Amino acid sequence: MSRSVALVTVAVAASLALVVAYVALGGTSYKPAAVADPCTPRSWRAPHGTAETLEQIVLSTADGAACKLHVSREDLVLALAGGDDLSHFARAHGLSQDDAENAIRDGIVRAVDDAEQAGAIGSGLADGLRTVAQHLPMSIVLAVLRGASGLLSG
Amino acid sequence: MRLRVESEAVSARTRSSLLGLAIALALADSSVVTLALPDILRRFDVSITTVSWVLVAYNLVLAAAAVPAAHVSRHRPVAVCGVGLCVFSVASLVCGLAPSFEVLLGGRCVQALGGAMVVASALDLLSGLCDSEERAAHVWARAGILGAALGPAAGGVLTQALGWESIFFVQAPLALAPLVALRGLRAREVQRVRGERPHLFANVALLFGSAALSAALFLLVILLVNGWNMTPAAAGAVATVMPLAAIASSRVAGRIGSTAVRAAAGLILVAGGLAALGFLPHAGWQWTVPPQLLVGPGLGLTIGALTQQALHGRSSQAVHGGWTIASRHAGVVVGLLLLTPVFTAQLNHNKADAKRAGTAILLDSRVPPLDKLHVAQDVLRTIDHSNGRLPDVSSAFTGRLTGPNGPEYRRIAAGLQDQLERAITDAFSWPFLLASGFALAGLVVVGVGRRQVTL
Repeated sequence: MSRSVALVTVAVAASLALVVAYVALGGTSYKPAAVADPCTPRSWRAPHGTAETLEQIVLSTADGAACKLHVSREDLVLALAGGDDLSHFARAHGLSQDDAENAIRDGIVRAVDDAEQAGAIGSGLADGLRTVAQHLPMSIVLAVLRGASGLLSG
Repeated sequence: MRLRVESEAVSARTRSSLLGLAIALALADSSVVTLALPDILRRFDVSITTVSWVLVAYNLVLAAAAVPAAHVSRHRPVAVCGVGLCVFSVASLVCGLAPSFEVLLGGRCVQALGGAMVVASALDLLSGLCDSEERAAHVWARAGILGAALGPAAGGVLTQALGWESIFFVQAPLALAPLVALRGLRAREVQRVRGERPHLFANVALLFGSAALSAALFLLVILLVNGWNMTPAAAGAVATVMPLAAIASSRVAGRIGSTAVRAAAGLILVAGGLAALGFLPHAGWQWTVPPQLLVGPGLGLTIGALTQQALHGRSSQAVHGGWTIASRHAGVVVGLLLLTPVFTAQLNHNKADAKRAGTAILLDSRVPPLDKLHVAQDVLRTIDHSNGRLPDVSSAFTGRLTGPNGPEYRRIAAGLQDQLERAITDAFSWPFLLASGFALAGLVVVGVGRRQVTL
């Protein structure tokens, strides 16, 4: 083998070896973790106290609404926790106000259903929350969600 | 170029070394302020895109002025070199004392003009001082490689020790030292130049190779300092692996095969090293060392071989050397202008991903619900005050790491820090891979031009 061929061969081999080694060590997956699909139900944890129960309901509501709106739960929580109103969030994601409101109401219903099935809340409270979700104005619904959990309002 | 030496007080070897210093200084300036950019950004309160013009402006003017300066220097190389050194020195002082960003930018443009005069005329002068034109071209190219490769490291050390202005204050007297090499030199004969066109393939390959190498130097130091919070001096030390590898390999492989073979091997190494930097498996400076051990030798082989190819058989070394400088620095400009927006877009995209991933960690954690919001607010405040560097989220957990929830807070803090490191490291991935593509494009040009020139 001539020295020219050897030089090029060494260059190719060294380059390929390093790239393959880095890929094998996880070079293609070293990026921020993908967030969970909000449409996939999460397991209901055994809550300790009312605050944790309400927190789980709020998070489950966020999952349900995010699933309907085809956004992540985290995007929805960050937007609403950051003080944005629902119309601002809807505009930012190319949604109508009605779509966003319906998604929140459906999310609450789904969360309350899950909590009821898990035995975290009684059927009376569940019925009350479903009524709140379906009939109260959205501004009040959001205020209730924020106030109830203490998670979003600070 | 024929030179008449009217004074033997300075030996030819010393003159060559001093001219090498002048070339290295002028070409180091294309990258020397890389590690100072964050400080300059803060000093003048400008955006990342704006501050990158401190680098772009220098390279742009150097690329534009190199060939005209070479034509002028054919007639009076000693005078052009002397004037160039003085202009470079004064402009360096202006940069160091700049009261505004506009003055700094203007100073950089004038500096580049002086740099172009120095680099172009130095090749003519070296041709008269060395045994052969090939030897002169070799010294000229090597000085340029050393300057360009050592620039970021030197700038990093000076920035940390004395502030970014010190880079320019140190350069000002250093640029005057090579004037000693010009004492007693007279150009005896004006070179007649045949109407030769520049070597197209070698110069285009140099452009692509330099675009790739600008990424290697620029992105690497930004990753080390802004991405992984290393001090400029420490980052400079890490980035020194590249020039050291370039020097070591050029001694071993610098004479193997034809220039086309060496250029091809060099570009393959540069492409491989940059691709590996695009696939970093973890955050940490040690992961950049193996790729640098490929890029460094690639740098030495590519620039040396392509410069030699571009100058081979040309009647005027200075003019065709000017073309290689124009190509190299046009490549740096192309690299910076294309890669900066890609990097910025990727960083913004990854920031959003990291924010989502961090929010998920917090929401799914087992700390009391009310505390989650307070932690989130503290973390966001820490990120907002990070000044474009990797935030240290542990400061948001001060006072929370003891007590019954301490282990959970430690887990959250580690998780958030990991997501931020992943986001920032991954943001460099596409720019490095794009830069690797530049090197491969250069390889294609070398392949196409292989039949055109064989030495």
